[in-house]
Amino acid sequence: MSEPEPPATPVPDPETPSAETPPSRAAHWAALVGSAEWADVFRTSKVRVPRERWVEAHRALQPHLPFFAWLSVIDWSNEVAVGDPLEGDPVEERCEVISRLSDVSAGEAVILSTDLPPDDLTIDSLAGVYTAADWHEREAADMFGITFVGHPNPVRIYLSEGFVGHPLRKSYPLLSREVKPWPGAVEVTPLPAAEGAPGEGKEGGA
Amino acid sequence: MTTPADRHLLAMHRSEAAVSVELQTEDMVLNIGPQHPSTHGVLRLVATVAGERVRSVQPVMGYMHRGYEKLAEVRTYAQITALVNRIDWVSGFANEIPFIVAAERLMGVEAPERAQHIRLILTEMFRISNHLIFLCSFPAELGAPTPLMYALRERERVLDLIEGVTGGRFHPNFNRIGGVKPAAGGGSTQRTRVQDLPKGFIEGTRRAMTAVRHVCDDLENLVLGNEIVQQRTIGIGVLPADKAVEYAMSGPNLRASGVPFDLRKVEDYLPYDRFDFDVVTMPNGDNYDRCRVRLEEIRQSARIIEQAVDSLPGGPLQTKVPRVIKVPKGECYVRAENPKGEMGYHIVSGGGRRPYRVKIRSASFCNLQVLPWLLEGALIPDVIAILGSLDFVLGDVDR
Repeated sequence: MSEPEPPATPVPDPETPSAETPPSRAAHWAALVGSAEWADVFRTSKVRVPRERWVEAHRALQPHLPFFAWLSVIDWSNEVAVGDPLEGDPVEERCEVISRLSDVSAGEAVILSTDLPPDDLTIDSLAGVYTAADWHEREAADMFGITFVGHPNPVRIYLSEGFVGHPLRKSYPLLSREVKPWPGAVEVTPLPAAEGAPGEGKEGGA
Repeated sequence: MTTPADRHLLAMHRSEAAVSVELQTEDMVLNIGPQHPSTHGVLRLVATVAGERVRSVQPVMGYMHRGYEKLAEVRTYAQITALVNRIDWVSGFANEIPFIVAAERLMGVEAPERAQHIRLILTEMFRISNHLIFLCSFPAELGAPTPLMYALRERERVLDLIEGVTGGRFHPNFNRIGGVKPAAGGGSTQRTRVQDLPKGFIEGTRRAMTAVRHVCDDLENLVLGNEIVQQRTIGIGVLPADKAVEYAMSGPNLRASGVPFDLRKVEDYLPYDRFDFDVVTMPNGDNYDRCRVRLEEIRQSARIIEQAVDSLPGGPLQTKVPRVIKVPKGECYVRAENPKGEMGYHIVSGGGRRPYRVKIRSASFCNLQVLPWLLEGALIPDVIAILGSLDFVLGDVDR
């Protein structure tokens, strides 16, 4: 790893190669929130914080990065109902919650990330620190079934009342595909008769 | 300074106070939308009103949720550009840029200079088109249909140029990983011998930009100089800078509140650093300033386009990329200054031909979050004016 020496002892994300952009902004933000895990890849700084310190970390960054750009969730799963599975070794199954904070002058920004175990998808709400987190958390609750403790208005934002399931989870099938096969079926599943790797080398089937 | 609008409001307050002394009034719930023409699609506002004044507003969304983040997980990178075109359909091409740049960064490829310049020109053309639509639809919502004719006429010139290059008017689907569509200059309908910009594009662009500047002057007189428009906009829907940042407003809405922040100046997704242009800000953050910012931004975009066509570099439109696009493992967020604000994609690649997860940060969704705060205490007719001044599109809200 060719990253510059940060103030805290870093444990760079082993999955991602480090980019050479000294001095590392990720290290700077990591020191501010007191985290030792950070990465600076593809010009995106990412700092990992434990779930217990999620709100606290945001409070520490709020004076520097007052703009709450978005909140997202990644459902790390080895079994996927739709789409391509992860390549390589199996991952630890978890929901990763990430938030993006930035400023409105110099273009500084950081992504904070934390992990939730699949059997306990609860996390403290950020709405008390960042007003703008409100709708994003409601969206994440809809789409991934995450409970945001202390959210001021925990009602559905996109899905109708009575909707079952959390559509953006990797275990949730794409219903339109279940009902009617994709016209370019070769894109979705290899045909049983076809040998080799069907779909490879062909970008068709809009 | 007491503006006519202030005096008007004061008089309203007085008459309202007089009424409530005499009459027992009670709150009423008023549903605005989802089919109301001023909601730019299907937005529903549940407003609690006391007489003519709004006590609270609850926006209800999701009527147009098309599940793009899920759909992106089952499509290849090349197919997703067609999908993201339709997020904010008024500025289709601009939606493609952050996605394609994020995918390119993950793959470690970069588009050639000429392709980047063409991307930049088209993005600015879509910004002009978007802002012209705003400047004609906003007065129409206030009851003035005339500017529509002026703005749409000049927008047509810009759309013609876009069509000449890409073959599409609204959803060009023109970007490819590593460049732009190689058979530019006729679109997909003509299997063309011309492999580049169509003949006469540069002269046509110069003429169109002159026309756009003219229509800006016209609209400035017709819309911003109109006393009725001023009455409906000056001092109404005031959003101070600190609130704008707190609610994560971006783009022209943020700059209208006096925050000089433009992603074109701080990010390098397109070579904006080669061109001179100003970040337009306005001091007051009211409806009027949100109009003025957009009018001025059209002029700045015309300025950028004129410089860009003058200094268009030669060379190829595409770098070499594998025939089957596979993106290495990793994640990347790229944001861009879209006509409506910060638009970005956080792509997580699992190493396959389709992304593992795509988070779409759309400007309108985030810009609407301020509505309950902004509309509290507004008059019902002003609700429509304030809503219109935020320039949102429901496809961009629901995705």
